[in-house]
Amino acid sequence: MAAVKRITKELAEFSNNPVPGVSAGLASEDNVFKWNVILTGPQGSPYSGGVFTLNLILPTEYPFKPPTLNFTTKIYHPNVSNDDKGSMCLGVLRSDSWKPSCKIVQVLEMAAGLLKEPNVDDAVETSIADEYKNNPESFEKTAREWTRKYAK
Amino acid sequence: MSPSRSSRNSLQSVDLRALDYLTSPSANLLCPICHAPLITPVQTRCLHTFCSACISLSLERSSTCPVDRKPLNHDDVTPAPIMIANLVNDLVVLCPNREKGCTTSCARWLVESHIREDCEYATVKCAKEGCDGMVERREAEGECVHEEVECAFCEGAVRKLDVELHYKECPKLSSDCRHCSKSFPNPELAAHKLICPDEIIDCAASHFGCSFSSRRSELDEHLSHCHFVALTPILQLHTERIETLELENKAIRQKLDLLVPPRPLPTQLSGATSSAANDSSSGRDMTSEMQDYTYHLYSEYEQLRSDVERLNAQIRELDVKQDMARFNEGLRYNDEMTGVRAAINGLRMQLHWLVASRREAGTGGAGAGGARSVAGSSASGDGRRMSVDSVRQVVKL
Ligand SMILES: [Zn+2]
Ligand SMILES: [Zn+2]
Ligand SMILES: [Zn+2]
Ligand SMILES: [Zn+2]
Ligand SMILES: [Zn+2]
Ligand SMILES: [Zn+2]
Ligand SMILES: [Zn+2]
Repeated sequence: MAAVKRITKELAEFSNNPVPGVSAGLASEDNVFKWNVILTGPQGSPYSGGVFTLNLILPTEYPFKPPTLNFTTKIYHPNVSNDDKGSMCLGVLRSDSWKPSCKIVQVLEMAAGLLKEPNVDDAVETSIADEYKNNPESFEKTAREWTRKYAK
Repeated sequence: MSPSRSSRNSLQSVDLRALDYLTSPSANLLCPICHAPLITPVQTRCLHTFCSACISLSLERSSTCPVDRKPLNHDDVTPAPIMIANLVNDLVVLCPNREKGCTTSCARWLVESHIREDCEYATVKCAKEGCDGMVERREAEGECVHEEVECAFCEGAVRKLDVELHYKECPKLSSDCRHCSKSFPNPELAAHKLICPDEIIDCAASHFGCSFSSRRSELDEHLSHCHFVALTPILQLHTERIETLELENKAIRQKLDLLVPPRPLPTQLSGATSSAANDSSSGRDMTSEMQDYTYHLYSEYEQLRSDVERLNAQIRELDVKQDMARFNEGLRYNDEMTGVRAAINGLRMQLHWLVASRREAGTGGAGAGGARSVAGSSASGDGRRMSVDSVRQVVKL
């Protein structure tokens, strides 16, 4: 299957050129469509010191349909839905802006980038986005608290 | 090549997409969709190159270019320049039977004939007359392995080739379960596998995003409180609805493509605009004008965006430079401070020596004069500290 071949190749490429702050691998050896991802909170952000685990699910139609990225660690972030799914909202992951030429490593880079700097224009949690914009101290306080509580 | 061999061409098919390459090929020769070297390369109107099969698959799902999302149809796809095709066809690949033991590597365009005519590990028809079985070419001259023999345990008829395989399912023998490593008679193994308590299985709602998996015996506990399982009926409903909507959407888009060509050629456009006065086609002109305008806006938007990105990068660079400059400046000030301190220390020593020597010359006495000299020097010490402070202030300023 073309998808398996491409994903295997992308995994090999990722292991050879890892992204700083991101580690990723297959959830189980016999299924390339499910990846475990670990993000470490970047220095200087309220997530600093935290370790966040995510699931990356690739559809069988990959690369024609986008992957989905879910936080399994609770995180206080404008771009991550504050529910059981913890789905990450990334512009490129929407099926109407996904391009088959996008690579998984680009998705992971963007996820790591959002920890450094949330994207309020693309927020799922609008109340958190408002707080981030208008009351950054209180946002940072809660985000740091959650990091300490859930991401250690 | 002996005639008896060439008469036995291999029918094994070669999947060009699954080939492994001797060296990793230049990134320019990779298809943006499958990330493998291009196979039957084609070019789009927007000058992107893909495998013919990959772009067809992509166009089935979306009428946009997979790289830049510009509107794209089957008609906009033409064979890529022959040079590109030659470059990818000349890439050296490893024989697909490598795992069986073949060490051959050859240009990609030769691999099919290698399998068909030469590869010792390709499957060919058995040499025995009347036998329909397949063997690897290197064993084709040996005895036929497709004859049936009797199983020593169940007395059933088994092909020589399959004896090992048969032992795994022979009804008179037992095998171990892969998960719990208990041994079961073969006929019961299949039934056991469905209920083996030690098998690791995914949550029943895994396709809706639950990432939980555990031994079967422990899954019930999870199922009873899994939110995804609770939501499964409604998620199922939504999936079905989305699928129908997608189908509908596709049909509508096809209709729309028929009504409005996705991207009129520039010549058509200018023609249409110039004949705007023509009443009969004014509606048409409006839409093409709108399209023209939209494209214009879009390209302007893209340009602005790249400008902003460039500016951002520049600002970041300047920031870094400024930080560096500030840091260097700080270092320099530090050095200067140390120099000034040393100089002041020198002055202090001289002052001390001067004062002491004058005192000595003035009083000549040792007892009370010595005490006074101590008081005097401490006073001069205060003066010195003050002067250091003032120097510090000057440096700060
Ligand atoms: Zn294109
Ligand atoms: Zn391709
Ligand atoms: Zn071979
Ligand atoms: Zn035979
Ligand atoms: Zn048997
Ligand atoms: Zn078992
Ligand atoms: Zn579950």
